[in-house]
Amino acid sequence: MSFWERMEKIDRRWVYLMVALAVILPFIIPAKFPISITPEAQMLYDAVEALPDSCTVMVVFDYYPSTIAECEPMTRSALHHMWRKDCKVITLSNIPLGGPSMAETVTREIAPEYGKVYGEDFVNLGYKANYVAVLSGMGTSIESIFPTDNSGTPLSELPMMDSVVNYEQISFIFEVADNAMPDYWVSIVNAQFGVPMGCGTTAVSAPKYYAFVGAGQFVGLLGGMKGAAEYEILIGKQDKAVVGMGAQSLVHLLIIALVILGNISFFVLRRQGRRRA
Amino acid sequence: MNGWEIFQIWVIAFFTLSLFSFMYKDNPFYKVAEHIFAGLSAGYYVGLIWDTVIITQLWNPMIGGKWLLFIPGILGFLMFARFSAKYSWVSRTSLAFVMGVTAGIFLISQLHGLVLPHMKATMQSLGGGGGFGAAVLAIIVVVGVIATLIYFYFSKEHTGALGVTAKVGIWFIMISFGAHFGYTVMGRVSLLIGRVQFLTEDWIGSFTHLF
Repeated sequence: MSFWERMEKIDRRWVYLMVALAVILPFIIPAKFPISITPEAQMLYDAVEALPDSCTVMVVFDYYPSTIAECEPMTRSALHHMWRKDCKVITLSNIPLGGPSMAETVTREIAPEYGKVYGEDFVNLGYKANYVAVLSGMGTSIESIFPTDNSGTPLSELPMMDSVVNYEQISFIFEVADNAMPDYWVSIVNAQFGVPMGCGTTAVSAPKYYAFVGAGQFVGLLGGMKGAAEYEILIGKQDKAVVGMGAQSLVHLLIIALVILGNISFFVLRRQGRRRA
Repeated sequence: MNGWEIFQIWVIAFFTLSLFSFMYKDNPFYKVAEHIFAGLSAGYYVGLIWDTVIITQLWNPMIGGKWLLFIPGILGFLMFARFSAKYSWVSRTSLAFVMGVTAGIFLISQLHGLVLPHMKATMQSLGGGGGFGAAVLAIIVVVGVIATLIYFYFSKEHTGALGVTAKVGIWFIMISFGAHFGYTVMGRVSLLIGRVQFLTEDWIGSFTHLF
């Protein structure tokens, strides 16, 4: 059996092993690959940077725990960026499984670094079913949709919410999602209430949302782990996304090599087959 | 790191490795992890909806005096009639309400939020401030949109000029698929990286607290 025939019949578990090694090795021997900043990430950074200090913003955790690797670095970077500007942050989620607790964990972890106090500087509204009613209803009154926060405290008892009635008091919304929720935020909140929005999304969804940046509906976009790494670099706080990009680049190189080898193998075997015929 | 946190990390690591074991071959560890995940998700979701919708948004306001809420409550309850072959027609009232409201909301919001802004973004001025490069990109966008739309026009056979334009449309679609596939690979690899980050940092890190 020739080399190319062996390549054609390779057990896929060898490919899994190679991918696993390509992912694990950069964590043992750090690999640094250049990370360029895309215009969309720069636009998002500039938009947040241009927000007035101490304004109120929303950070939306519309992702499941399965995509933490891509989405959580985005929400973390956004919180660092917004709290540096002393923004008041409202978090919420339209994802029942994990969304509210991830918002709770991330905000409570970062808040002490900036001396932020729950109820005064940030509030976690939690989850509420039926996103259409939630997104539309908050345009009239946030309290009518979320009478209490995630832990059951009435909003009237949280000082930060005294001055927040509806979207009119929200300067910016940063939506981080691993599903089609950005469509609804754009079509309901951005289009009807005119609140400026930025978006962070998983790599799978990113190509779709570039069109929304082109149409001016998002001020900027972070696509997948690469987008998250760009934002980490822009705010000067390199963390998990930047570290993960080493493995990401190595796996991409491996996949490209395998695709090229697979194609060469296909054409070589086809030529040999023709000769035999 | 306390004992409870270490226990949590080990449970997460156990299920992560159990699910990864499927890549070698199907096995009982994978099946156990898969079934626990499905059951846990369903149970959590039911509990969450009960608490955040039925209790917080229906029951508590009703006993607080908002009696009109019994109307959506009844409509919701009628949905359960679907479980009975004899009375399943009753649920159509609720379904009709949901469909009517959803269609009404989405028709306007999709049109104003998605269709019209994207049409407007397609019609860019060639003499805008972006210079020659932006003008070329604007032409590519218009050609791509028209050619792709023509590819999906099936009321006339794709021959002659229509056929050539449809073929151009296929090229645009293929390039789009390529971009989507590339991003999908990146997304899936990112998920793996996330798990490996957890295993190498949190799980292996917890060894130092144990041994």
